[in-house]
Amino acid sequence: MNTWPLGRSVRSFTVGAHLREEGVRVRREVEEVIASVGETKKSIVYGTKRMMRPATRGILILLAVASNAWPLVEAGNPVPAFVTPAPMQVAGGPPFFHEEFINSDSSHPMSHVASVGELPDGRLAATWYAGSREGASDVAIYLSTRAPAESAWSRPHAIVTRESASRDLNRYIKKVGNSVIFSDSKGGLWLIYVTVSVGGWSGSSLNLTMSADEGLTWTPSRRLTLSPFFNLSELVKNAPVALSDGGWAVPIYHELAGTFPEVLWLRDATGDFRATKSRMSAGWYGYQPALAPLNAHRALALLREDSSAKRLSIARTENAGETWSPPQPLDLPNPDAGLDALQLRDGRLLLAFNDSTDGRDNLRLAMSADEGRTWERVATVAEEPGADFSYPFLMQTRDGQVHLVYTWHRKAIKHVAFNAAWLDERRNASTR
Amino acid sequence: MIHDAVTEVMSAACPWLVLVLCLQQVAGWCGLTWRGWRLLASSGALALIVLLLPAKGLIIARWVAGVSVNFSIPLTGMLAIAVWERTFARRIFSHVDWATGWSFGAIGGLVLYPLALGVSSFDPYEWGWRFSPLFVIMGALTSWLIWKQNGFGFLLLLAIVAFQLRLLESSNYWDYLLDPIYCLTSLVWLGGRLVAHIRGGVVRPDAASGA
Repeated sequence: MNTWPLGRSVRSFTVGAHLREEGVRVRREVEEVIASVGETKKSIVYGTKRMMRPATRGILILLAVASNAWPLVEAGNPVPAFVTPAPMQVAGGPPFFHEEFINSDSSHPMSHVASVGELPDGRLAATWYAGSREGASDVAIYLSTRAPAESAWSRPHAIVTRESASRDLNRYIKKVGNSVIFSDSKGGLWLIYVTVSVGGWSGSSLNLTMSADEGLTWTPSRRLTLSPFFNLSELVKNAPVALSDGGWAVPIYHELAGTFPEVLWLRDATGDFRATKSRMSAGWYGYQPALAPLNAHRALALLREDSSAKRLSIARTENAGETWSPPQPLDLPNPDAGLDALQLRDGRLLLAFNDSTDGRDNLRLAMSADEGRTWERVATVAEEPGADFSYPFLMQTRDGQVHLVYTWHRKAIKHVAFNAAWLDERRNASTR
Repeated sequence: MIHDAVTEVMSAACPWLVLVLCLQQVAGWCGLTWRGWRLLASSGALALIVLLLPAKGLIIARWVAGVSVNFSIPLTGMLAIAVWERTFARRIFSHVDWATGWSFGAIGGLVLYPLALGVSSFDPYEWGWRFSPLFVIMGALTSWLIWKQNGFGFLLLLAIVAFQLRLLESSNYWDYLLDPIYCLTSLVWLGGRLVAHIRGGVVRPDAASGA
């Protein structure tokens, strides 16, 4: 119904400034009356307030039902199995241990949160963030590589900056943070990293980018939508686990309102991952999970704790991550600091953690031969009163060597490489 | 590339509609009595210009995207209807339709957000990624509302269609149904109704639209 002529007459009525308010009120009332008359007319004609035939309604209902049922048709295999490395007996070689800085000549006052992955050609690739201070706008994510035959890590170069992330994601990015690097079976090198647009780390979102040339160039980053509340507070710290369908289970965590561990599922269908997530626990049981598969369907997650218990906790799954047991405290301390764990090729579990309830001035290794029920401290990687050795990240390469990267004094990233024989040697020494 | 462009347009639709409403309100305060296409074209164009203004390397619309990109389809649809009703002084949604929309936002938000933020180990947000009871509930609710000729049912129908076409950046059905701003606005509406009820006052039917 066109109300334009009515508008004109009302406009004439409101010529006097003192009558303007009254005119607007009258106009609204008249328009409402006209609108209601229109609805009444329709009601008279069709017996309802809207002019919709039953057949039209039927078609729309059919569309609603079909659209809501369509995901049932699309549904694929809901739970792929974990891929565990082929078992390998401990090599009979001599104990091996080596440590070095990855970025010792860094000009940045702060370096933090390292990760390391193995490239298809056997080189190592490490990432971390560095800048003037944590959360500063000049912080960037750096990449460095090292071939087994080389004596040092390559000169680090920035692969994600605040500006590049802002450009890729086409939105304001205040800062970049934690990152995790990993490579797939097709030679692709993937990076999941944190960005923040508003607030502190609890305002984080996760992003994904890929390099097809071993880290030289990267595809434009893609934002992963993982939370219904402004897509806030999803962070990553530890390594993903490969899935039987070509995808990945990435341990992530949430720390806005509730603090809890989650699994980010990256499922591959056509070369681009489809991202979903599932919960490990309710909002008051640990975070920064380290995921260690025991076989195709069983895995455990070791959790950082911010509670007064100051103990590491452990959760288990028997159905490839579909459900998790309630986290239980372990007999190992945790000063609310990051940790990492992995299953070695010989079947034992290795844990890197701060062995303290009140500080990060040591970094120790512990092992378990009974699927995480009991743990035995085997070696100290770093220890210095008042120092900060934090955020360990573990990885075992195809040759069986174990690599640990961690934050050293918040100034540099340190790389430690060792083999199972060294672990056994240290274990024997500590039990003597 | 096309998908990215579509999601960016969709993320700007809600801020654009809010701006159009605000501009029309300001025009009313200034005594401008334009109506119809003339008002829509002028306020729409001005809102578009504002959203396209560059600031520190990003247009305003993308600054808004830094806060939120996944504005739900019901919120966008209700804003579009509010703009249309205001522009053409023509009722599209009855007070029952508006009340249904705000009730859906309030109840849905109260169910989703506390659980998704960790109140329990059950996370209903997981339901939005694969076929789940959420799809059954929404299919039934949408069908019932359409059968009852409730206007909000059509917005729910648009939401599932938008989800199937992945018109938002999110691939989770919940994000097509609800967003925090919609939930907050709905709770404010619900609170207003409750206060009015407690005071024993009669709430005018058209007050439901918030117009």
